[in-house]
Amino acid sequence: MKSTSTAKKFWDTVLFREIWDAMKVTFKHMFHRPMTFQYPREKRTIPDTHRGALGLLRYDDGKERCVGCDLCEAACPSRCIKVISEEDKSMPLERYASEFYIDITKCVFCGYCVEACPVNALAMTKLYEYSTHDKRTLLFDKKRLYEIGDRYIEDAKKYLYAHNLEKDDEASRAYRYHFPEPVLKSNDS
Amino acid sequence: MALKPVTTPDAEAATIELTIDGEPVSAKEGVSLYDVIASTGRIIPAMCYHYTFDPFGSCGMCLVIQEGKKAPVRSCTAKATAGMVVRTQGEDLIQARKKAVEKHLSVHPLDCPVCDADGHCELQDMAFLHGVTNLANARPKNIPEDTRSLVLDFNMNRCIACGECINICKDVQRIDALQFMKKGGFTQVVAKGDQPLVCEFCGDCLAVCPVGAITNKFSKYAYKPWQLKKTTTTCNYCGDGCQMYLETKDTDVIRVTSFLSWKNKWGDRADTVNGHGGLCVRGRFGFQFIDSPDRLQIPLVRRGDSLVETPWIEALDLAADRLKAIKAAHGPHAIAGVITARCTNEDLYVFQKFMRSVIGTNHLDSSARYGHVNFVRAMRALGATRAMNTSAEITKANTILLVGSDITETNPVASLRIKEAIGVYKAQVIVVDSMVTNIGKLASYPLLITPGTERAFIQGLVKSVVEQDLVDEETVSRFPEAFAALKHAVAALSLDHISALTGVAVDQIHEVARVFAEAPRSIILCGEGVVRQSRGYDTVLALIDLAWVTGKLGRPGCGVSTVTEEANEQGAIDMGVAPEFLPGPVSFDDPVAREKWERAWESPLPPRGEGASLMEIIQLCREGRIKALYLVGENPLATLPESCGIREALANLELLICQDPFLTETAQFAHLVFPACTFAEKEGTLTNQEGKVQFVRPALDPLGESAVDWHIFVGIAQSMGAKMPYTATSDVQAEIRKLLPGYYNLGRSKPVAVQLEPYLENGYRHNVAERYKGYEVAPLPSATASPDTRFHLYLKQVIYHSGKLSTRASGLMKISPNRHLLQMAPEDLASLGLSDGAEIRVSSDRGSVKLQARPDPALPRGVCVYPEHFIEPPVKDLFSVDLDPVTHVPYFKLSQVAIEKA
Repeated sequence: MKSTSTAKKFWDTVLFREIWDAMKVTFKHMFHRPMTFQYPREKRTIPDTHRGALGLLRYDDGKERCVGCDLCEAACPSRCIKVISEEDKSMPLERYASEFYIDITKCVFCGYCVEACPVNALAMTKLYEYSTHDKRTLLFDKKRLYEIGDRYIEDAKKYLYAHNLEKDDEASRAYRYHFPEPVLKSNDS
Repeated sequence: MALKPVTTPDAEAATIELTIDGEPVSAKEGVSLYDVIASTGRIIPAMCYHYTFDPFGSCGMCLVIQEGKKAPVRSCTAKATAGMVVRTQGEDLIQARKKAVEKHLSVHPLDCPVCDADGHCELQDMAFLHGVTNLANARPKNIPEDTRSLVLDFNMNRCIACGECINICKDVQRIDALQFMKKGGFTQVVAKGDQPLVCEFCGDCLAVCPVGAITNKFSKYAYKPWQLKKTTTTCNYCGDGCQMYLETKDTDVIRVTSFLSWKNKWGDRADTVNGHGGLCVRGRFGFQFIDSPDRLQIPLVRRGDSLVETPWIEALDLAADRLKAIKAAHGPHAIAGVITARCTNEDLYVFQKFMRSVIGTNHLDSSARYGHVNFVRAMRALGATRAMNTSAEITKANTILLVGSDITETNPVASLRIKEAIGVYKAQVIVVDSMVTNIGKLASYPLLITPGTERAFIQGLVKSVVEQDLVDEETVSRFPEAFAALKHAVAALSLDHISALTGVAVDQIHEVARVFAEAPRSIILCGEGVVRQSRGYDTVLALIDLAWVTGKLGRPGCGVSTVTEEANEQGAIDMGVAPEFLPGPVSFDDPVAREKWERAWESPLPPRGEGASLMEIIQLCREGRIKALYLVGENPLATLPESCGIREALANLELLICQDPFLTETAQFAHLVFPACTFAEKEGTLTNQEGKVQFVRPALDPLGESAVDWHIFVGIAQSMGAKMPYTATSDVQAEIRKLLPGYYNLGRSKPVAVQLEPYLENGYRHNVAERYKGYEVAPLPSATASPDTRFHLYLKQVIYHSGKLSTRASGLMKISPNRHLLQMAPEDLASLGLSDGAEIRVSSDRGSVKLQARPDPALPRGVCVYPEHFIEPPVKDLFSVDLDPVTHVPYFKLSQVAIEKA
């Protein structure tokens, strides 16, 4: 331990040196720009890689990208995704997700589902304002997820770009799955 | 073992020595090298190999280095020879196999996300295993998907031409419905002649397809393998008792699979004697009834003209009060019960205990009464109570006499054992039927007999055996009196007359008798043509006569067996659900057994000599002596012909309780309807036709408020104030275990011990003389028409259906809908001046129905067939019911009808 002289101790006590040291920091901040945001009047800029609410995307011709492959469900570590897939009745031999649920209360925003998606149908957006009084509305269904995807399409594209998943629309088309045509029914049946 | 299997089970291949990876290995000569390597525990990848058929060698994955050869060899098609030195591991082999995977992947679409096989795909596994990441010359095939078949979709973009589907169809099923065809520059699997696939739809091709080239239409795109919960259970359709995996997602059954899969490819061909692990069309595609929207979910109680949904407590109390009131007013014998043999052993046991100890009546029966009782009663003469042979014995028999059984239709998986016996072990099969059956087409001695003459034909065989002196001296000398009686009895028969009656030449009868008698291992297999046709009990006894004089009883690999229609007919007998049997089964009148059961149940049994079987119950209902009837899963209005007065009998009842998963025709008449579970929601055991006791496990929670059958019996018993202290299936099983030691010999059937002495030494003389007296065909009720338009009409089972249950499965109804088609011989159609699909009127002395005619070249002239599963139009009502004098089995499968243009 450092031995301090009795005189220094005396002057420190008389002049309240600790107070001055502390006030120095305080006065310094009077000349800074404020650190805090006046949320919700002010909002901060969010980076493209931000992991916010999940949305489902469509191709630029309006067709749903999701083919209901269930890989997101398999990849999800918190098991918050549920996919129910079936054959598209209007388009024979095409697989699609008839129901798609994400329990966002369970979601840990790891982004694995987006990584797993083979057609880049899932993306994370910059949306984080979905607090509610009713917890049940936090079970996002397919309709809500497509609403998010449609509304925050730009965020989603930036997210996919930032995570090296999809460069542009051209790349999205390259991932698109083309289903085979059915053999024409024979005449007698 | 695959490749060249031994053609006779008696021959043993020589043992050879070879070296694998420096280790000395001994093996059988002539088997596939792949099998030898697999038997040492080394797993070499192979995509076109499956143990159930001969190696095909198309995938090029099973490469090994054989000393003395420059290039790697395909181990599956190479035969193991003495002194071979083989290396199975090494970087060079991995690279060679990787090349093969790359070859397959280069023309395989990368559509795993939408492929139903994703996660259960051998090509995927191999690509991961060998680290295939880069495909330089990939080109997709762009072949349209073949969706013309009703059941399977063929996406040939994904096909790797391994040929497993074609091989299993050809070698195991022996149907040969698929073939390779070069189309659009690629070898593709197509149905024969590139037509829409029409076959038995067993779905084995689907099970062995290592990729997603063949997919199931009923579960297309509805799942990924990792989402499904797999429950091993026993099929509820027929008596074969196939093990299957019910794959469920939440509350839906998505698909049914079985042990047969490309994943379980390692095995010994000799293992298939216990079944190849596959299923038939009913098991694999008939699961939709389980989660059908028609299922009953809440108890219904009759109020006026309608059935009203009622809480369980109220309904159970009502049932108990009404039963108690009827018991108090009219005695316990005014109550009767009939249960279906699709229930588990536990349901059946609790049911008969409920009827006998709580109600106190012996008026109880099961649907085994429709035929299987005939077989069991006949077997009891020999001290046995069920079929004598296991499937392994059937596979390895030298001669199989198949009487009156269209086994490929009624028990498709059991028929594979006969097909294997024919194809692999070169057995002689004698098929006796009134039409050209599928098994008859494969058999060496297909015999067409006049409808209804099975018994006469069997007695002719017995006579021929005696006449040609084909009897087994050893057995006959043990029972000289019995043989003398039999000899005397058959002496009165004339083979010429039998030949004229059955339409089989005398020479043929002699030849068949010789083939049967001279083989060291002969098995008699009888089906619905014996046990469900007039005097079936006597026919089974005649089969036993044939077996014992030729010395086929008590010898290993010989015997008399049967196949059953419903899953647990044998269990119903074993659990004592028949008025003449107590569990065991032992005779109801046996004083020792009665004392044992009275002590176990702590209540007196109904008096001896009492008890009505199914048809007697109906008769008593008509007479008004039975006031309450408890039907569990039975639907007599849809099963029995109108002529037996079933409608009148049900109308007479004061209380009709129906317990069924569905609101059946009978349930609509009921006063109380309890919603029961299907087998997919139950825990318990089923006993198959071989006597194997197999588990049924719950795959789903009971639908709605439906309950397990025995829970309902216990509920009513407790409402009646009786003691039935069961809380779990294991409680019931513990009681059965305690009282029937050794019954739960799960998965294995106890060998049947046959005692000839008591049968042949007591009363046989009189009995046999009686039986051989009237061998004329029982006169069929003739229709009022000229002989030109008179036909034999059969009610037959078809492969796509089982009982009435399968008509609730939408998949099976899609494959085989009710088209109101009567199948007739094409010549008959021509002689009546009818075209295919013509409207006809079929009439008997009981009435007439309108149907459409359809030519079927398998039918001989004068025979027509209608599937028994469909209620509309009521073809069954054309039949008269003929009762067996001994076993009281109702016979209504064969009748004479008149057919004319409508």
